Amino acid sequence: MTMLPKAPAGAKRLGLVIDLDTCVGCHACAVSCKEWNSGGEAGPLPDYDKRGPRPDGVWFNRVHSYETAESGCSRTVNLPRSCMHCEDALCVTVCPTGASYKRAEDGIVLVDPETCIGCKLCSWACPYGAREFDEDAGVMRKCTLCVDRIYDKKLPEAEREPACVAACPTRARHFGDLADPESSVSKLVAARGGRDLLEEMGYAPTNKYLPPRTARIDAEPRKGAPEARDGVGSALLALLDRALSR
Amino acid sequence: MRPAGSILLLTTLTGFGFGLLAWTGGYASLGLLRGPTRLAIASVELGLFLVSIGLAASVLHLGRKARAWRAFSQWRSSWLSREGVGGVLTYPIAALFLVALRMEGDGILTRLLGVAVVGLSLGTVFCTAMIYASLKPIRQWHNSHTAPDYLIYALFSGALLFALLRTVLSGRPGSTALIAAAMAAVAMLAKGVYWRHVDAQTPLATLAAAIGLPKGAQARPLDAPHFTENYVLREMGFVIARRHSAKLRRIALGLGFAAPIGLGLLASFAIVPLAATAAALVCSFIGLLTERWLFFAEATHVSALYYGRSI
Repeated sequence: MTMLPKAPAGAKRLGLVIDLDTCVGCHACAVSCKEWNSGGEAGPLPDYDKRGPRPDGVWFNRVHSYETAESGCSRTVNLPRSCMHCEDALCVTVCPTGASYKRAEDGIVLVDPETCIGCKLCSWACPYGAREFDEDAGVMRKCTLCVDRIYDKKLPEAEREPACVAACPTRARHFGDLADPESSVSKLVAARGGRDLLEEMGYAPTNKYLPPRTARIDAEPRKGAPEARDGVGSALLALLDRALSR
Repeated sequence: MRPAGSILLLTTLTGFGFGLLAWTGGYASLGLLRGPTRLAIASVELGLFLVSIGLAASVLHLGRKARAWRAFSQWRSSWLSREGVGGVLTYPIAALFLVALRMEGDGILTRLLGVAVVGLSLGTVFCTAMIYASLKPIRQWHNSHTAPDYLIYALFSGALLFALLRTVLSGRPGSTALIAAAMAAVAMLAKGVYWRHVDAQTPLATLAAAIGLPKGAQARPLDAPHFTENYVLREMGFVIARRHSAKLRRIALGLGFAAPIGLGLLASFAIVPLAATAAALVCSFIGLLTERWLFFAEATHVSALYYGRSI
């Protein structure tokens, strides 16, 4: 059913919160996503021309790096880009078959590979470029928020999070219920001023991005030569300095 | 947006087919089909034939062609689904219209079915247009021009086919060639207005907004996630050189609209009517295919922003 569902009262709104301040752009999330989803229920994820000159394939998560300028300082911002599991998901309503759908109970947007006809219209409807076409299977693919991990009772509870979140070495990725204002992700968004990407497009994305903190150097610049200090170390350095200055 | 051959064929051929069906239904419903109904019958048959090729071409676009039937289910939310439903509903109604034409000629049933054929034909063209007009990330499509323009091009190409059929069957185009020339002029005007509109548009978003930076922040791409083109770039990041687009616009205007205006006028003055209407049809087909190619190639998608492409 491609009408957007009416979420029942108290329904979860699962999504990611990505900290652009701590993301170092290592692509571990993207690689881990590719690895999990190539073998998990969503797999295999296709690769084309793997060892040729133009390797290509389907990835649910892509990490871009940008240079930004604020008040004269330039900085690098790394941006992992994947499905935002939007509240107002045009990719769902344009689908002619009902293969593209949004779950009422947790807001996850999925594609049913058994009923997708591969018309590609959903990928045109997404401003985030989050959907990629599987040329081998002839169907559309997208981030599942690791729906086959987060509810898997066989996994230890701590591991029931998306593969990208589990892989992040700087803990820049957070997973949780954004409908619950008391959840750790909601509190993080509130504390750090989490933003929507392309807010003006009006898709009401669930995923939030925490903006980079403003870089600030509070200490005054040092003036004059460093003062002589006491101690054995300083004495040894002074000796060395004198020996070398001869 | 990448112009896919199957979609170019779908939109142009269904335009010709549904346009022809609409004119035939319109003439019949107004009781203007005087004399033998040969023209109306041939028109409906040719119209359905062209629509069928167009719809078949659209199936070729699908990754899973055997599942095409599933596309009829989501008409409550999807314009693509509505297009499919409208297209398929046209067949039984047009078949009944054919029966009425053969049995009754000009009569109340023929006239009523004519109205239904007009409604379904133009309704389906409208649904096709709305597939594109409803896509918010594409400024060249998501505007108030797309839907009326598709209807205008369908009525123009249908009028031209109707004039040609009339000339083939009775040697003279009558008023149909003049109507086709007038529709060509309307279509040319619509295309000009559309190009003026999209050329004056500003991008829907900035890179700063795409990466969640505050308004006014500057950003430029440093490293892309991958070195080669991926699906998103191939499909949504299609780039056409400005000089190519200018040349193709002139071809579309000249062949698609200007030539049919001149040839239509020539035919309406009964100067080589058959050759003129036939030539007008060939010109308009090439011109409209060029116009439709540009409709896709010149359309930009917000997601290309992430790769630093201008939108």
